[in-house]
Amino acid sequence: MSRIKRFFRTYRPFTRAGMQEMIAYRANFICFLIGEILSAFIMYFVWKAVFLSSDSETFMGFTMEDMVVYLFITFLTGYLTYSDGSFAVGEEIIDGSIAMRMIRPCSFEMCFLFQELGSRLISVSMIFVPMVAGVEIYRYAVSGSVRFQIGYFLLYILSLLFAYMISFYFNVCYGFMAFFFKNLWGTTLIKETVVGFLSGAIVPLAFLPSGLAQVLNLLPFASLSYTPVMIYMGMYSTSQILFSFGLQIFWLFTMYGVTKLIWRSAVKHLAIQGG
Amino acid sequence: MENMIYVENLRKEFKKIIKEPGLKGSVKALFKPKKEIITAVDDISFTVPKGEILGFLGPNGAGKSTVIKMLTGILMPTSGMCRINGQNPQKDRKNYVREIGVVFGQRTQLWWDLALRETYAVLKEIYQVPDEQYKKRMAFLNEVLELDSFITSPVRTLSLGQRMRADIAASLLHSPKVLFLDEPTIGLDVVVKENIRNAIRKINAEEGTTVILTTHDLADIEFLCERIVMIDKGKKVFDGGIAELKHNFGDVRTLEFELVNAPDFKLLDYHRRFKLTQDELASERDGAKATVRFDTAKVSVEDIISYTLSTVHVKDLNIKDVEIEEIIKRLYRREVSL
Amino acid sequence: MRRYFRLHRIFIAQYLKKLMEYKVDFLLGAIGLLLTQAIQIMFLGIIFSQIPALIGYTFPQILFIYGFSLIAKSLDHLFTDNLWMVGYRIIRKGEFDKYLTRPINTLYHVIAENFCVDAFGEILTCALLLGYSIPKLNLPFHWYTIPLLIVVVIFATLIYTSLKIMTSAISFWTKASGHITHMLYMANDFAKYPVSIYNKAVQTIITYVIPFAFTAYFPASYFLTGENPLFCIGGTVIAGTVMFALALFVWHKGLNAYESAGS
Repeated sequence: MSRIKRFFRTYRPFTRAGMQEMIAYRANFICFLIGEILSAFIMYFVWKAVFLSSDSETFMGFTMEDMVVYLFITFLTGYLTYSDGSFAVGEEIIDGSIAMRMIRPCSFEMCFLFQELGSRLISVSMIFVPMVAGVEIYRYAVSGSVRFQIGYFLLYILSLLFAYMISFYFNVCYGFMAFFFKNLWGTTLIKETVVGFLSGAIVPLAFLPSGLAQVLNLLPFASLSYTPVMIYMGMYSTSQILFSFGLQIFWLFTMYGVTKLIWRSAVKHLAIQGG
Repeated sequence: MENMIYVENLRKEFKKIIKEPGLKGSVKALFKPKKEIITAVDDISFTVPKGEILGFLGPNGAGKSTVIKMLTGILMPTSGMCRINGQNPQKDRKNYVREIGVVFGQRTQLWWDLALRETYAVLKEIYQVPDEQYKKRMAFLNEVLELDSFITSPVRTLSLGQRMRADIAASLLHSPKVLFLDEPTIGLDVVVKENIRNAIRKINAEEGTTVILTTHDLADIEFLCERIVMIDKGKKVFDGGIAELKHNFGDVRTLEFELVNAPDFKLLDYHRRFKLTQDELASERDGAKATVRFDTAKVSVEDIISYTLSTVHVKDLNIKDVEIEEIIKRLYRREVSL
Repeated sequence: MRRYFRLHRIFIAQYLKKLMEYKVDFLLGAIGLLLTQAIQIMFLGIIFSQIPALIGYTFPQILFIYGFSLIAKSLDHLFTDNLWMVGYRIIRKGEFDKYLTRPINTLYHVIAENFCVDAFGEILTCALLLGYSIPKLNLPFHWYTIPLLIVVVIFATLIYTSLKIMTSAISFWTKASGHITHMLYMANDFAKYPVSIYNKAVQTIITYVIPFAFTAYFPASYFLTGENPLFCIGGTVIAGTVMFALALFVWHKGLNAYESAGS
């Protein structure tokens, strides 16, 4: 018990620092959010046009209502599981301050994690409820009945937590690329595009050729976005839900292990090369 | 003599948002930001004759850089005016800056990724220096600042000393009439500092360039300037020659005694004998040499000497001249007022 | 004027030297941009695998508009990328002082100092899209089509650049405004699709307030159909001119408000 207490006492300042940073840079945060919402709305208009142009009520099994829920819940999921780890690690590698991490009496990635949790906490508190409420009101207005299901919602939140942790560790691993490439902007753009596609954030995986979709479903990226969104929408059966939770846990441990491995070899590298 | 720089009632105010520390402070600043007007430069006037090197002094945050930035046309004064080389820096900026050179010691003006030579080639175009003149100028700057050994290296690989020389050369490429040097010797080692001082002096002597120099290293001032302007908290507190400064504030003296028997030093207790505080008198020993620095308003040179001679055996005695550094230290610590 | 061209040539030459030093990094940026566009286009491909036309526009027509939107965007990206740095770093760190002590136009100086070869990722996508779609479309062609295209491209790019100048200039007052530029950048995706897919409010905004529609859809629709030249082409020229005048105004106001950094 006291170990857990000490653990939280060690990292609480990081969380506070993250929150303060978020407040100080609130304008950035809000503009970033608006920009993201705008692109979600562009997609909304595109889909509306698609359904207007189509003779069928459904598009590859999705109704317009499904599509809108998919779009905005994907947006919300992407926003909440977004991790800045790769940029933070990358910048420290480029300016050399990563070496300072070796002499601090706390775990290297935990400092990042708790700092980011601080800023996440604020963004969650600001957009989570309005976003879910907005989607549900839309669903109610279109269908005339309450579609919100608390069970799926709670499972979604659980899945979201796993998704965030996977995203965090994946990003920390990716950040070590800065040892090889200095163009953080370019590597980040590639990562975000590829992950966006593989995770189903741009096109639902169900729209892809079934062989490809099956493979992508097993990769860690589906666990970042597609899995929680499908759970929210109630599109997964019980066995599918259990399977995808198992998969999420598997990928979380894998990413954690890889992070530790990379960090260990990075420490060795830093100790020999001096940064 | 004709005045190159003419500054009258210059004033600059900044608005600042005050944030209390901690998370609570951040939240508070979010909803009710407190604003305050800070007067960084408060009614400053002075003139600089053509060809003079003026030392511009003041503690950190006194407003030196703000003044320099107004004189170079970077900042807009809140009120007041400056005329340099017959021009108003803010009026016709592009024309004005053609005649001045600026070096900010803290920040390079060169292109980080370019080889130094390329940087000068770009500046040549920007300032429209004719080919013939450029060649001559580079040869001259090369000689004065010794750029040859690193002129083909990218700027990012230069050492601080090299970078500073490169920056000064860049500011002189277009033969400016006025040179602004904001801390040109900051962070440099003694040898490089001396090189840079010599270069500044040479350029001033050969070309009659008017120079305004801010620095924290008073050796720069002693070597280069005949006159200083000192500001504190945005106000001008002194304007005059170095000799005048020494005369006005020369009440601090330093005496050096060479003792026959070094351990005797502990017999000397000036503080008790003259009832002085540590601020009023400081004594220290280095080998057989005892140094006593004191305020002549509190105790006379004669008293110190006769007490010392009567207490210990003295081999040699040296009365040092007033050091400008000591005066300025005291001014900064506000031990004396002006 | 000639002096500025000469200066620009020197800056480009210097930039190319730098480029050789960081080849891999620039390639990464270009690949990133290419991938982003490729995935968007794949998304459109999936849509058109299910429907014959999107509110009356065929697949090649949509690709033509999409590709057209990348012309101005990529040119702006290539030439004026340094404006991002104004909002992100240059002003906050006081680096803007340097530009003010030089005897050339500050805006020109900032812009000319850097190029972004990464933009070739977009230029390539643009070329592929137009190369694929144009042969499939029966575009009206006259002797004045090409000159008109050049004029449109210039003014459409000017719309982008002007908006970027304005959002960057905000940092003269607020110290940093990269996030505002970023927001605008997200919004310019509105230009990629026919405006008729949006509702009235959005249409009005992207036509008259932030005239992204003139960077792509309106001129592209003229080249598609040959209809409405006055509005589609004239509108682009007017929007570009007005935006640029406004941008210069904001920039100059900003210069006077510039407070440098430190004391």
